Amino acid sequence: MLQRDSSFAKEALRYGLIVIVLGFIVFPILWMVLTSFKPPQDVMVSPPRFLFTPTLDNYYHAIVDKNFLFYIKNTLVISVTSTVLVVIIGALAAYSFARYNVGDGHILFFILSTKMFPAIAVILPYFLIFRNIGKTDVGRFLGIGLDQPGALIISYTMFNLPFAIWLLVSFFQDIPRELEHSARLDGLSRLKVLRKVVFPLAAPGIAVTGVFTLIFCWNEFLFAYILTRQKASTVTVGVESFFTLQGILWGPVAAAATISVLPMMIFVLAMQRYMVRGLTFGAVRG
Amino acid sequence: MSQSLSVSAARRRPAAAPAMISDRWFSILLIVPAMAVILVFALLPLAYALNVSFRFADLTRGGIGAFVGLDNYRAVLADEMFWASVGVTLKFTVSAVVLEMVLGIAIAFLIHGATVGKGVIRSLMVLPLATSAAVTGLFWRYLYDTQFGLTNYFLGLLHLPQPNWLGDYTIALWSVVLFDVWQWTPFVALIALAGLQALPKEPFEAAELDGASTFRVLRTLTFPMLKPVLFLVLVLRTIDSVRLYDAVAVLTRGGPGTVTESMTFYLYRTGLKLFRMDYASTMAIFFLYAMLVASLFALRPLLKQFSTRASEG
Repeated sequence: MLQRDSSFAKEALRYGLIVIVLGFIVFPILWMVLTSFKPPQDVMVSPPRFLFTPTLDNYYHAIVDKNFLFYIKNTLVISVTSTVLVVIIGALAAYSFARYNVGDGHILFFILSTKMFPAIAVILPYFLIFRNIGKTDVGRFLGIGLDQPGALIISYTMFNLPFAIWLLVSFFQDIPRELEHSARLDGLSRLKVLRKVVFPLAAPGIAVTGVFTLIFCWNEFLFAYILTRQKASTVTVGVESFFTLQGILWGPVAAAATISVLPMMIFVLAMQRYMVRGLTFGAVRG
Repeated sequence: MSQSLSVSAARRRPAAAPAMISDRWFSILLIVPAMAVILVFALLPLAYALNVSFRFADLTRGGIGAFVGLDNYRAVLADEMFWASVGVTLKFTVSAVVLEMVLGIAIAFLIHGATVGKGVIRSLMVLPLATSAAVTGLFWRYLYDTQFGLTNYFLGLLHLPQPNWLGDYTIALWSVVLFDVWQWTPFVALIALAGLQALPKEPFEAAELDGASTFRVLRTLTFPMLKPVLFLVLVLRTIDSVRLYDAVAVLTRGGPGTVTESMTFYLYRTGLKLFRMDYASTMAIFFLYAMLVASLFALRPLLKQFSTRASEG
């Protein structure tokens, strides 16, 4: 009896602490979503109001007056293009590293060390190079230059490739070699084996890598902030446009932030099982 | 290249499937696109930055100028603002990473022992990881607001002092740390939890039979076995924290004064606000060097350990 009481107290304490932790984690996001539905007069009040009549005014302001969907569209185009490039280029290389061990691990670590580059170290050269390319006809034609989507697509492809390769290598290693051997013996060429056996088997891993890359691109700020002004700006920079001379419009900011954060949250929840693996470059299988 | 391709193909033609090219060439061809991207878009800009770091480059006075040797390096090393930004970065990194590790590990133990609702708990934990520091960080300014902010409202209810989170010289950096802790503690907790759940059961059952105390089990079994995972998280978090930019840019813009100006933010300001590309590039080279050394000596051995273990297992 005593035993049961003390274990009950322990469990109560445990869940009490967990609730506090979760409260701290969830509350800022919850408050953001709540604020996005508040009528303007309830946003800038002291003390803060918890009960209010929900309205879509802030969303109207963000979408119609501030044209926030424009930033969403930019972000979508840039992130999806970068992700497709990263996954294709990355999967080919990762397969080679996982199966043939090209470079005996040295090239793979070299690739990882570029991931450790502080983005800020290459951002000044990027800025100068894209500024110069943007002034040429070729640059204008390809959309590579300051404040053009190509500049961000190149940056994002470069900066997500190392991560994607590492994660994909870990997924390819999970596929048994025997399947490839027997497919080869059946007379399939290497490329066919890759297309018909390896990639279908690795599809979940490739999808996970793609979604991670998409999230990183979507949430990226530094490159977007420095390489774009207006035309090619993404959501992370777009939110900054809610600064006005009268101060920051917190209601519309909350609405815009909610719109831009929500899709990524859905992705993350869908991929929960792979979160740990993705966040450790495939090192911890979780 | 096409010549050597056909030679090697002719030499080793497998009996089963007629191959156009050898395994070796096939494997090299597969990494060509990735290597091309990395060499062109990472190493070329670096070479460019290295070049600029040896020149006079003031964008307000005609762009990239004459070769000046090591002048920029001397100037940066003698720059008090640079060292101040290094100090801010170190202070931020040490406090944020220590807090995140301690809290994250504690939370992992809490959740690991929970019997029901683990799935829901984990789902809620991953949410901050989906958000962009630039977007949620901006919203945290509202939370920190001295007049309308929730933080001070709650502190007021508890009759605690209500600081000026982002405006006070002594507090601003800690407010950035707190935001970072909010976003990244779940990351540490998730990975530590995965490590805990992957531990083998037998040694713990044996220890229980021997009547070992909880503390002893933790010290002699749990932590030694978790060490590789925890060390990996520590290194990943440290590398990330040193690059602090987004949170500073949206929360404080380096202010008040320059008390929250991290290395990356100072570098950005020098290069793109003051247009001294030469100093900024020099700082970038220093920064890069430090990061490369860190990843070579800390990250590389760790990941090697994990990858050999995965291929054995």
